[in-house]
Amino acid sequence: MLKLKVIISFLLFAAVSLFIIAAGKKDRDDIYKTTPLEFKIPKGWPKPTVDFFKKNKLTEEGFLLGKKIFYDSRLSKDGEVSCAGCHQPFGAFATFDHDLSHGVSNSFTTRNAPALMNLAWMIDFHWDGGVNHLEIQPLGPLTAPNEMGITLDSALMILKADSAYYRMFNNAFGNPAITSQRMLKALAQFTGSLITSNSKYDRVMNGLDTFSNFEKKGYVHFKNNCASCHKEPLFTDNSFRNNGMLLNRFKDIGRQRITALSSDSLKFKVPSLRNIQLTFPYMHDGSIFSVPQVIDHYIAKTNAPQIGLDSVLRKPIVLNKLQKNELIYFLYTLTDTVFTKNKRFAPDGPVYFKH
Amino acid sequence: MYKDNFLIIWVVVVGLTVVMFEADAQSKAADFTLRFKNTANGNSLVLLDSTYKNTFGESYQVTKLKYYISNIHLTGKQSNYKSKEVFLLNAAGSDSATFQLKPGIYTELRFMLGVDSILNCSGAQDGALDPLNGMFWTWNSGYVYFKMEGYSTSSTADLQRIEHHIGGYRGINKADRQIELTLKEPIVIKDGDTKAIFIQVDLDKYWQGKSDIKIAENALIMFPGELAKKSADNFSGMFSIISIK
Ligand code: HEC
Ligand code: HEC
Repeated sequence: MLKLKVIISFLLFAAVSLFIIAAGKKDRDDIYKTTPLEFKIPKGWPKPTVDFFKKNKLTEEGFLLGKKIFYDSRLSKDGEVSCAGCHQPFGAFATFDHDLSHGVSNSFTTRNAPALMNLAWMIDFHWDGGVNHLEIQPLGPLTAPNEMGITLDSALMILKADSAYYRMFNNAFGNPAITSQRMLKALAQFTGSLITSNSKYDRVMNGLDTFSNFEKKGYVHFKNNCASCHKEPLFTDNSFRNNGMLLNRFKDIGRQRITALSSDSLKFKVPSLRNIQLTFPYMHDGSIFSVPQVIDHYIAKTNAPQIGLDSVLRKPIVLNKLQKNELIYFLYTLTDTVFTKNKRFAPDGPVYFKH
Repeated sequence: MYKDNFLIIWVVVVGLTVVMFEADAQSKAADFTLRFKNTANGNSLVLLDSTYKNTFGESYQVTKLKYYISNIHLTGKQSNYKSKEVFLLNAAGSDSATFQLKPGIYTELRFMLGVDSILNCSGAQDGALDPLNGMFWTWNSGYVYFKMEGYSTSSTADLQRIEHHIGGYRGINKADRQIELTLKEPIVIKDGDTKAIFIQVDLDKYWQGKSDIKIAENALIMFPGELAKKSADNFSGMFSIISIK
């Protein structure tokens, strides 16, 4: 028995040695190698609470694969709806000028598509925070009958039918296996890289620009009335709050749907206000169409608080017409055209958007 | 550069060979299997075609039965076995969890019905936890730990469906449960043994245990919360050892 073991071990030993020698002789270039990408935290920003890229190393190859999947409308029941169909680059990755978004076969979502940005700093995803990790978020839209409407199986089959994907999975992960985990990790590399930090506001904060008088006054109104929830520099504190939105026709109770706590009724995740100029209409159901109307909403709600309204909003907001305009001017300094026009985030070829 | 690498690898290989012999000299791990036998009304569960009755006299058929077993723990005299590995059991698929066990005498067997909280919120997983297995909620993230679907004339749901998707990893809604099995005699593992424990999973006890789960009242349990917790409280009563072979 021992003799056999000795022989087996020696054979194994010899085989391993030969393998090493053979590998050494091979051209070094065809060994799997990715190009690491650095996750840059903009100046003055906090570190993300969750490090999504700790176990999903950011690489150029992974990012490019994620981008291709993001813009691929074949990944839907009718072949017309990609992630980008609802998260449009020219609309700061929200659905431009739509309260609700179009899914497959003339269906509609029941919520407004949030602008995808600075996702790496988020803790919970979706308006109700029901999604607990960036990587698994796409499972929702892929399989929802009113979004992309396919099964995860068929999504993988569609990827497997395209030889370009084999090459890209190989480049990103070292072999061409197309798995759900890899697809999701690649998507997260793309979506998690959508960082917007080049607005006028950012330039001012970094001492590279100055606010106009109007904007400066607006900033003061903002700090007095809005900043505790829409916390700088991300313009959200990632909490769930009731800001006075009423139960809509879809009976959307928000956070309560996830926690089953009545105290969470009509609480929604505080959205970032970056690129707010581009992401109208507003709120979880897109029911408020313009920024002036949003401000009127806050003035009305804080002056006549209903049950459930967040305690921060129980102090009446008083702004005259001029002051409202100042606040709007400030909010528009959060527009980042470097972000919306960034070629790195744009599709490689023409993309069709359903309207 | 290349020579250096080669030298390092050579040394590692020699080292490993030595270690292999050392470990080998002591003991040889055994293939150990937990084999789950789903039953209803005292018979092996047959999907779709058979009709069963729960203790409340409600008849039902099962079309789907899947559950996660993880954190298997065997306490022994010489050594313990503890693993975080997750197995998906499926009445229409795999009925067993196999792993390597060192020789010894084991006196306690424990595992979890469910998936560790942390694995519920750590992003995309593969293997048993691949979302392709249809055991992951997409709108309220987390794994379904126990999924039973079927039909019942007592069901008030559309098409008289039963859908029990039991899970929950957050705070008060946690639905994973520890299952502790009494071993009448210790499990003795010898060098190179292959052994299996046959475990009964009795659906009769699912409907009535610590809580009463009546189909007429609870045809659909689809998200974490009070109802799911009531169901989960019956898990531990469902499992018992049939035999060790
Ligand atoms: C049919 C429109 C539609 C499609 C297609 C779509 N989304 Fe969305 N997306 C939405 C809506 C609506 C929400 C808000 C969902 C909610 O709160 O329940 C959302 C939310 C998100 C969020 C969370 C953002 C946040 O701030 O919490 C991410 C990330 C996201 N989508 C990424 C994707 C990816 C990746 C894809 C493609 C796999 C995709 N979406 C496809 C409409 C869509
Ligand atoms: C108590 C916390 C809180 C305060 C204070 C607050 N907001 Fe909000 N804000 C929210 C929440 C929560 C939402 C999302 C509500 C929803 O979707 O139903 C929101 C949504 C918005 C939106 C829509 C964003 C989008 O993408 O749809 C805008 C714009 C906005 N707030 C501006 C302001 C301004 C301006 C102020 C100050 C006058 C302010 N908020 C004060 C919590 C707050």
